[in-house]
Amino acid sequence: MRVAVDWFALTPVLAPALGALLVLVIDAISPRARMPHLGVALVALGAGVAVAGYGATRAEPLRSLCLEAPEGACLYAADRMAGVLQMCALVAAAVVLLMLVGDTWRTGAGDPLRGGPAVSAALVLAATAGATAVVAAQDLGTWLVGLELATLPMIALVALAARREALHGALTLLVTSVLSFALLALGVALWVIATGSSTFATSGLRDAWRVPEERLVLVAAVLVLLAGLGFKLSLVPFHAWTPTTYAGAAVPITLALATVSKIAALGALVTVVRALSSVVQAPSATGVVVALAGLALISMLLGNLIALRQVDPVRLLAWSAVGQAGWVVLPLVALTPAGTVAAAGYLAAYVIATAVAFIVVHLVHGPVGAGVPGRARELSHTAGLARNHLVLGSLLILALLSLAGLPPGVIGLVAKIAALQPVATPDLWPVAALAVVGAVLGVAVYLRWVTMLLAAGRSGGPLQRMPGSRLALLIGGVALVVTSVLPALVFR
Amino acid sequence: MTLLAAIAVPIVVGLWLVLAGRQLPRTSAWSVGMVAALATLGLLVAALVTDSAFDREWVGVLGLRLALGVDGISAPLLVLTAAIGVLVVLLARSNLPTGGSPSLYLGAVLMATGGAFATFAARDAILFFVAFELVLIPVWLLIHRFGDPHDAAARKDAGLRFILFTVSGSVLMLIGILVLVGSAGTSHFDVLVDAGAALPLGTQTLVAALLVTGLAVKVPVFPLHTWLPAAHATAPTGGSVILAAILLKMGTYGLVRLPIASVPDGFARVAPTLAVLGTIGIIWAGLVCLVENDAKRLIAYSSIAHMGFVVLGLASGTVVGLQAALIGNIAHGVISALLFVVIGGLKDRWGAVRFDAPLPALREHAPRLGFVLILGLAAGLGLPGLAAFWGELFAVYGAWTSGLGPGLLLRVCAAVAALGAVLAAAYALRVGRLLWVGEAQTPVEPTAPTETSGAERLVLAALVVATVTIGLVPHVVWSVTSADASALLAGVLGR
Repeated sequence: MRVAVDWFALTPVLAPALGALLVLVIDAISPRARMPHLGVALVALGAGVAVAGYGATRAEPLRSLCLEAPEGACLYAADRMAGVLQMCALVAAAVVLLMLVGDTWRTGAGDPLRGGPAVSAALVLAATAGATAVVAAQDLGTWLVGLELATLPMIALVALAARREALHGALTLLVTSVLSFALLALGVALWVIATGSSTFATSGLRDAWRVPEERLVLVAAVLVLLAGLGFKLSLVPFHAWTPTTYAGAAVPITLALATVSKIAALGALVTVVRALSSVVQAPSATGVVVALAGLALISMLLGNLIALRQVDPVRLLAWSAVGQAGWVVLPLVALTPAGTVAAAGYLAAYVIATAVAFIVVHLVHGPVGAGVPGRARELSHTAGLARNHLVLGSLLILALLSLAGLPPGVIGLVAKIAALQPVATPDLWPVAALAVVGAVLGVAVYLRWVTMLLAAGRSGGPLQRMPGSRLALLIGGVALVVTSVLPALVFR
Repeated sequence: MTLLAAIAVPIVVGLWLVLAGRQLPRTSAWSVGMVAALATLGLLVAALVTDSAFDREWVGVLGLRLALGVDGISAPLLVLTAAIGVLVVLLARSNLPTGGSPSLYLGAVLMATGGAFATFAARDAILFFVAFELVLIPVWLLIHRFGDPHDAAARKDAGLRFILFTVSGSVLMLIGILVLVGSAGTSHFDVLVDAGAALPLGTQTLVAALLVTGLAVKVPVFPLHTWLPAAHATAPTGGSVILAAILLKMGTYGLVRLPIASVPDGFARVAPTLAVLGTIGIIWAGLVCLVENDAKRLIAYSSIAHMGFVVLGLASGTVVGLQAALIGNIAHGVISALLFVVIGGLKDRWGAVRFDAPLPALREHAPRLGFVLILGLAAGLGLPGLAAFWGELFAVYGAWTSGLGPGLLLRVCAAVAALGAVLAAAYALRVGRLLWVGEAQTPVEPTAPTETSGAERLVLAALVVATVTIGLVPHVVWSVTSADASALLAGVLGR
């Protein structure tokens, strides 16, 4: 069997993977090098962004790994939505590396992670390659491998901070990931049993959907996959690892968990839902709809409710991630292609805003070296930020308002509209109406923090020199402002 | 393009003032704000004269277009918004609230005005929602930062209550809009008029119920009104004026534009409930006004009563009722602005205006201010010759002649609402007796001069002129609205 490979189309996956290898080679040749790693990684990510961006503007998907006719199926196909998600993942990875490695540039600051820049860069790049692969994967094998590739390096990255909380967080994440993998493997197996095919192609799926027994297996497969992905997306009741791991890891790694990992998880879920949406018109998949709606609404309510009481900004963002995961899944409830596009757009908007929030928290809190017990983080440390550091304060306020879905954070508002649109139908409107409670709770969560930022406070100390994080903030801030003016860049 | 500029100027200048203008001295910040407000007014007039419209795709996937335009229903509200914007900035010349830099205050005022502008000019249902939300944060800032300097907890509470109530309302409205847009297949108001009316009755009723519930929070309609008194009591004078004269109008305008225009049959089924709630609001708020001791809260409750008349007019489903609601909207905007400037100014001077504490007699210490107060109260109780008269009279008449609802329900509402007008007279006289005549327990001498002067006097003069003009020549408004109002209701009346 011959497989036609379009190497160019694969760049968003191959560039970070090759970058990871190259970083390790450079490290073997010159163990003392620091900035070359960053340079190589950024070039690799940049190449990926360029091709993913090209894919996001094309009407036709970028395909690769295509089988010969008569099957003709492609194992890799990145449509516009996938292109946007890949771009987000790649840029987020660049931001993470700037914060991890860039901050040590001419500042004498210690490495935030054990193992130095080479290990950090290689792991981040590997995870990114996994994320970009899973977003475009069209067969179960690539899908599962990509998903795990996106997860496993993260566990190591969390652990490498080598603080007690970090190890605890890494252990929690490890247990969760193993459990999640078991469920995913089971789900994949059930899928193969039901459809008789190891791809997400619709032909086998359609046949399976017509036969009641096979439909049952298929629904079971989807529910098990949903549970497995629920862990990765931090949906209630699979969310318990999130606050522990988020708060334990170094902030740049938390940012990676909140962006790259989430993109991988949602990309995976979207692939499943999109495949399912092409066949479920009759009979409808009530079980899947109820499961998705339940997960979305409970996550939204519980996540925001608990976020209301947090004092550590990272824990607040962690619980808000649980709430936002509910919003990401909400449009999928409709089981339509439009719903998957809305979910991806919502996630992209969330990723941009939450990245800016994490970068500002990192800048205010200052760098922490590996193994150094960190200063306690408190929301009150950011009090008065809007008065004392105009740029930091304004960007954090914009990010929080965007997460809350209030203008001037227009991108967040448009994302909320997009997320509600697929479920605002005469059949599903009660789901949307319940989401109103989630929206209001979310506003309360973020406004509480905004209130502190606007108040008088003592956050006026001079910022430490963190060139990498500053550049990262510039990237994130520009993305946030530009997409707020032109939301069509994300919603395409 | 002119219309787009009229929206962009206040928003961009406002943002600039908030972000970059913190170091600006008071006079320069004020001058920038004033120039922007006047430019907005000028651009609006130009847009009205040239019949400016704008339409461009914004977010294709959502079907969200930057579609802007003016018609007879939005034009009076746009003029009101621009004029109130100028007056609030003018008022800041003499009465600048503390709590932040002058540029932050003026920036928030301008952004709120710009957001309201976008709301009234939007011709796309989803854009309408986006613009609707644009106003929230600036107004929250006004309440939260510049509110009553004596009571930080009340400010925080009022601000949060304002934003949470209105967000829950607006998201419900958004769901209604999305169901409507999804079912009708378009989000442009001009097309929705026909496409919405063609929907099955069940969908229409669902959409109308969602939209009316969501918008009722903003209007506000009893029992969703509880955020308004708190917000008014703590907001600075300028903030109260914006709340009463601009924000509440967004709710009633939304009712006209969305449920009444787009899903007439569905609205007809919801309307009786709305009429009953509006009527309860009139009586409830009137009764509260008889005992409320905080002057600003009292004016806030009287706002709820006035909006009850507007809602009753809308719910009657008649052209007369709709016309009454449209002019009642404008009249309430002008009168409540006038009363809030008077009472807010007194609060700035005296620290508090409470009827259970000794008060100086306004007629002795500040005859001019006293005259304006009496005029505002007289207008508020619906005296002929002043602005509110037409709205209340014809709202009651519209409800009386309406064919909607079971049996005599709307006639009962009309009769009860007329009783509410008697309550209005009672509480207006109460305020007049206590504040103007000075019949409080122990009359006192004010510690500082009370008489109005400077910018405040100019603002009050403008509002007095508007109150009398609308009262004597209601055709100023009606001539603009009548054609479009009749066309809008053709759908309801045709059946």
